[in-house]
Amino acid sequence: MTVDESNVILKMTGITKRFPGTLALDKVQLTCERGKVHVLLGENGAGKSTLMKIISGEYQRDEGTVWFNGREVNFTNVRQAMAAGISMIHQELSLLPERTIAQNIYLGHEPEKEGFKGIVDQKKMVTDSKALMDSLGLDMDPQTSVKKLSIAQQQMVEVVKALSQEVRLVIMDEPTSSLTSREINKLFEIVERLKQNGTAIIYISHRMDEIKRIGDSITVMRDGQYIDTVSAAEADLDTLITMMVGRKIQKMYERNYREPGKVIFETDNLCGLRFRDVNIKVREGEIVSLSGLIGAGRTEFAKAVFGIDPIDAGCFKLYGRQINRIDPTNAIKYSMCLLPEDRKKEGLVLQTPIKENLTAACLKKTFKMGILRNKPENEIGEKYVRELRVATPNADKIVGELSGGNQQKVVIGKWLETGCKFLIFDEPTRGIDVGAKCEIYILLDSLVHQGYGILLITSELNEVIGISDRVYVMKDGEITGELTRDELSQDRIMRYAVGEGEVV
Amino acid sequence: MVEKSINKNVPEILCSINRFINKVNIPGIAIGDALLIVFFSIMSDRFLSSYNLLSILRNSCTLMIAAVGLTWVILMSQNNVSVGAVVSMAAVMVPILNNKGLPMGIVLVMPMLMGLLVGFINGFLIAKMKFDYWVVTFGTMSLMTGLALVVANGETISTTSKFLNFIGNGKFAGIYIIIWLTAILVSIMLLIQRKTKFGYNIYSIGGSENVAAISGINVVDTRIKVHMISGLLAAIAGMATACMNVAGSPTVGNDYSFNAMAAVVLGGTAFAGGKGGIIGTVFGTLMLRILASGLSMMDIDSTWQKAIIGLVIVTLIVADVLNDQRKAVKGSRRIYRDVI
Ligand SMILES: Nc1ncnc2c1ncn2[C@@H]1O[C@H](COP(=O)(O)OP(=O)(O)OP(=O)(O)O)[C@@H](O)[C@H]1O
Ligand SMILES: [Mg+2]
Repeated sequence: MTVDESNVILKMTGITKRFPGTLALDKVQLTCERGKVHVLLGENGAGKSTLMKIISGEYQRDEGTVWFNGREVNFTNVRQAMAAGISMIHQELSLLPERTIAQNIYLGHEPEKEGFKGIVDQKKMVTDSKALMDSLGLDMDPQTSVKKLSIAQQQMVEVVKALSQEVRLVIMDEPTSSLTSREINKLFEIVERLKQNGTAIIYISHRMDEIKRIGDSITVMRDGQYIDTVSAAEADLDTLITMMVGRKIQKMYERNYREPGKVIFETDNLCGLRFRDVNIKVREGEIVSLSGLIGAGRTEFAKAVFGIDPIDAGCFKLYGRQINRIDPTNAIKYSMCLLPEDRKKEGLVLQTPIKENLTAACLKKTFKMGILRNKPENEIGEKYVRELRVATPNADKIVGELSGGNQQKVVIGKWLETGCKFLIFDEPTRGIDVGAKCEIYILLDSLVHQGYGILLITSELNEVIGISDRVYVMKDGEITGELTRDELSQDRIMRYAVGEGEVV
Repeated sequence: MVEKSINKNVPEILCSINRFINKVNIPGIAIGDALLIVFFSIMSDRFLSSYNLLSILRNSCTLMIAAVGLTWVILMSQNNVSVGAVVSMAAVMVPILNNKGLPMGIVLVMPMLMGLLVGFINGFLIAKMKFDYWVVTFGTMSLMTGLALVVANGETISTTSKFLNFIGNGKFAGIYIIIWLTAILVSIMLLIQRKTKFGYNIYSIGGSENVAAISGINVVDTRIKVHMISGLLAAIAGMATACMNVAGSPTVGNDYSFNAMAAVVLGGTAFAGGKGGIIGTVFGTLMLRILASGLSMMDIDSTWQKAIIGLVIVTLIVADVLNDQRKAVKGSRRIYRDVI
């Protein structure tokens, strides 16, 4: 595709980066223009985040050249890149939970009192961050501490943080993975405004529908290599996916529906932290989705059922046994497990190898009389690395060194290995590439065929419609509608989710 | 009518007290201090006298200076066990240098330089060379403990100096000079902590070193400076003991590392870093000294005193953690209502 040379702000050529045992980037190139959104596409572990961290000064390249704003640059730390006008929204949340929103927004570049170098102007910091958030259409008190915010709100704070100084280039590494429609629309408005101001944007996402919506040009990477750059207007989604995964994906959502069996999970007027009077059931051989906007109380519901949060009233039944109280340590005994939304915090030990994480929830299998058996551990490790297509040389790699999407695959493997028959998945495909998503859907389908019951919490409507047998829609903590497979449509779900279901 | 207005006024006053507490951010430990004072006043009629309270304050000074310096290190999720050794070294340097007849300026500056140097070595090895902070500070602790014994020949060294004696035992406006000095030092540290970018950076690094680094904070630089300040304040604490005794003992600092750590943690600065601060440490130090004074006035054996103080430390830390957890749950409820 053609590039207007005078408009180029960033040009990278022949970028190579090695990690011990991995060639993360192999002669990659990238060119970005002012006022344009450049989308970066690639499977988990393709090297997208690594390339971005080289631009932002976090990593140093081994080979290659980078031009920024008309001159060759070699940023050796983040400060230099920031000073040049580059800011980055990281794939994983990078906020300090104990500090306030304002302190997080101006982290590292707090406004100074006039005439007093090094003295922070707290008043200005609060009013400025309020003004900044207002201008971006966000209504939050800058003096609340970040730990009190939901993940979606934290993500928006992250966006504000990236825009809190003069920027020429904003890198967004999967900013929407924990947002739903409402916040995504807001984010896209922000992106539109940035474009008008002549800011360049690099945008990474695994949500294919977003790419055409906001992208101007698209660069595809695979296994650390540059594949091609195309204009978004001309690109065709199927071709992009094929370029990205290196093979053709026939059908995204594979379901072989079966007749559901007996009820395995049933709630009776369950009330908790942010939900009330929930009555739902899941039968054997069913994938039941719990849909709704972010903040509707779905995650809280799952946490309460799993015993992480308290249940205020009501009860639920698992395999016919009535349960009033449960805690996460014995939930596995009832054959129930939860894939949590916040995987980093609740699902993984980042400093240990993949195989240890995989077996952490079922140590009985790898420990015989208190002694670790290496063989089962290795076998389990190899199995999931293969089945879930985790991009790693072997199961001994430290989880913290995997790419974001591959870390999530490890968490999924960990819970599958427990052998629980009732599974609650909270956003299982967040941040996972299309190829692996497809893989996970096939896996879910085969699980329900073996008699598992699955409660799926997801914000991607396509996913809800593509693979569910039944859907419950939650709004403000209450179930507002139930839809069977034949009734499913984006429209209907959204209407229940925003509370107009009864009207139509 | 009158009653009504009183009813209305009382909660208003409570509210404003509450607001004031929130604004100046007084930690829970301050209330603990107050309760202890009430308790000991009931248990012993000698306890509640202006003389005793003033002497508790005076006895807190040296530990407070050292503990305040340590606070930032712990706030950055590290630790420094060489505090006590630097206290001892500075304590013996003052009389030795003074006995050599050197000008007072040098007598006062040299120990401070020593503290800064030890702090720099700690900071450099930890932040720049990425050595483990326990290993490094244990190393400098052994080194300085040994050196202090060597230069002092294992003995307490006394000296004569009107000036040093005045600093250590003189009064200004009815209050010991040493208390004034401590108050000034703590105030300066508090201003730095609350108002400067440097102070903000300490909290950021303690919250998450990675997040701080990718936000453009110079982590290595900040860490080295914080260790140097910790060394400097430990040295000043040592000098203060020398002034108060007009003599320096090479073992005077033995308990300081542990006690300073206890004061910091009692004050609500978590070993995990990122939250807490100097005000808490001030009250934490006071608590240790109030306990020591109160228990000895109740004629409790000194060996038992240690055990009781240990028990109090553990209880308070547990209580603080539990309270924190409760606050977090409540907070999340409130935010929910705001947003939806
Ligand atoms: N710090 C590190 N140490 C070792 N290997 C690393 C490190 N960071 C990344 N890698 C490896 O480099 C490769 C590229 O990772 P990267 O995070 O750039 O992928 P990505 O394209 O962002 O994937 P995702 O979509 O899952 O976020 C992966 O194989 C990963 O394991
Ligand atoms: Mg990534």
